[in-house]
Amino acid sequence: MEYPGEGVSMTRFIFTFLNGLTLAGLYFLVASGLTLIFGLMRVINLAHGAFYLLSGYVSWTIADKTDNWFYGAVAGSLTLGVFGTLVYVLLLRKFQYEELRVALITLGVALVLAQAMLAIFGGDYYQTNYPENVSFSVPIPGLGLSYPFFRIFVLILAIIVAVGLWVFISKTRYGAIIRAGVDDTTMVSALGINVQAVFIWIFFLGSLLVGFAGAVGGTTNSFGMGTDGDYLLFSLQVVIIGGLGSIGGVAIGSFLVGVIGQFATGYYPTFAGMITFAMLILVLAFRPQGILGKKQ
Amino acid sequence: MSRKRTMYAVVLILAILFPFITPDPDFWVSSGGTRALWLGVTALSMSFLNRNLGLMSLGQLFFSGIAGYIVAISSVTHNVKFGTSVPLAILAGTLSGVIIGWIALKTKGVYFFMLTLAVTLGLYSFANQAQEITRGHTGINSIPSPIIFGVDFAYVKPLYYLFLGIAIALFALCKFLEKTSFGIALKGVRDNEDRMISMGYRTMPLKMIAFVFSSFIASIAGVMGVFYVTNISPDSVGLARSIDLLVIVVVGGATYLGGAFVGAVLIAVFEAIIQDFTQYYVGATGVLFIVVLMLAPQGLMGIAAQARARRGKKAGVPA
Repeated sequence: MEYPGEGVSMTRFIFTFLNGLTLAGLYFLVASGLTLIFGLMRVINLAHGAFYLLSGYVSWTIADKTDNWFYGAVAGSLTLGVFGTLVYVLLLRKFQYEELRVALITLGVALVLAQAMLAIFGGDYYQTNYPENVSFSVPIPGLGLSYPFFRIFVLILAIIVAVGLWVFISKTRYGAIIRAGVDDTTMVSALGINVQAVFIWIFFLGSLLVGFAGAVGGTTNSFGMGTDGDYLLFSLQVVIIGGLGSIGGVAIGSFLVGVIGQFATGYYPTFAGMITFAMLILVLAFRPQGILGKKQ
Repeated sequence: MSRKRTMYAVVLILAILFPFITPDPDFWVSSGGTRALWLGVTALSMSFLNRNLGLMSLGQLFFSGIAGYIVAISSVTHNVKFGTSVPLAILAGTLSGVIIGWIALKTKGVYFFMLTLAVTLGLYSFANQAQEITRGHTGINSIPSPIIFGVDFAYVKPLYYLFLGIAIALFALCKFLEKTSFGIALKGVRDNEDRMISMGYRTMPLKMIAFVFSSFIASIAGVMGVFYVTNISPDSVGLARSIDLLVIVVVGGATYLGGAFVGAVLIAVFEAIIQDFTQYYVGATGVLFIVVLMLAPQGLMGIAAQARARRGKKAGVPA
């Protein structure tokens, strides 16, 4: 084994850590929609990876046509918000309380989507261009190196979304209605609140989030055939480790999967998948419900 | 009961005669029959678990993949004889079921489903990354066929009959296990685990044995896959393949052991017919899958059972 100079290995370490941290931000954006919908409605959407990829394609197309990253991101988010809502209303709503049946149907949706996307966009890989005004790099003090600002921006976005979701769900009147509607649908309906509409909004918001994640992730990382499976795996790992249904759990899960995964890929590429996997097994051995999950 | 026996006999005779009665045997024996038997055995490992324990596992391809990769790597890269590599692969696949089962069986329902899906996808990403071991996404190609007692299984008919023998043996073994006191205790766990515990059963070992048994079947299916397809790649354990398997199980009827084979035959024939339009085929199975889930979650076997019950009622025979 060769030991490179002290400075080089330090730089590598810091870069790996920063990459892991910003990747964790992206994972958070991806998985928060999944956990939001499950936490509030007990509906698990296994087409989540396909949703992510679809938004990547939509954002790329619009950003390419209009030459504006922002329009692409808005189009990707909204398309997925509407698409997710349609999937819920047309396919899932009737079986909302049969968890496994719903999960299976969403896998069917994932299959159809994956094939449709392959037929339209082919097997090539795409990556959306960075928005121009944030395509600069920030110097890292003391090392004489710089790091792309957009990646740090992703992390900031993730933190904003995390705080926003937490405030919205636990501090606002709407959040209270949502939580009440989930706990006792009949009672809340009796109070004159349209619970069905509330559920539709949750699904819209959750899908919008994964759409947004697709737009952002499609800029920091390339995407294409197979990306749907990859991101479904990341999201599952994140929510399984962190605890399904908890926003804080997603934050912890994203951090672990992002940072440890990145170190594994950087230092032991052959066994990267296995290391993340071992972590998952280890967490579940002690906490089957995940780190912040409620007992089933 | 005797009607059921007649049905088994008819299916068995048809399966044995199939290579001689099918049109275009060169194509249909392999792409229809052998393929359906391989997929059916994989699906059987899933149906067994779902039927007897009420757990839908997507981890079966993990065990298939472990066993398949071990056979492929040892025979192509290290020139190990099948006599050694096949038992070793099945053993390794089965034992990996102990580790996965130990974790996964702590969960239930949709959690179990998600966890086992993550396990399979984890193997997929490992197979992609660990290029020195698995040759990455190109996979391991041109795996030789076994020759047993002078019979070369590179030929279509010997391989078909080998697979038919394996499928019958495993199906019979599942049926037999269901009739033993172990099988009956399993159904008790499925229906009400708390009651079984209060009756003094230790349910975890029961569930574990069932899970490891299903990973044993899946490992055999993994070896069958290597011999049938003659290559293995990460896509053999990927998301699309996992969903394919799920489609087979659900469309056939997830609570019937025979459903695994009914679904496998249907999907194999379907695939063979529209092979030329592969781009649209997976979309078509996906739509079929969603429709079955929404309208007839018990699958084809369930539809058949309902029809029988209805006919029985009309004729005044108690269903």
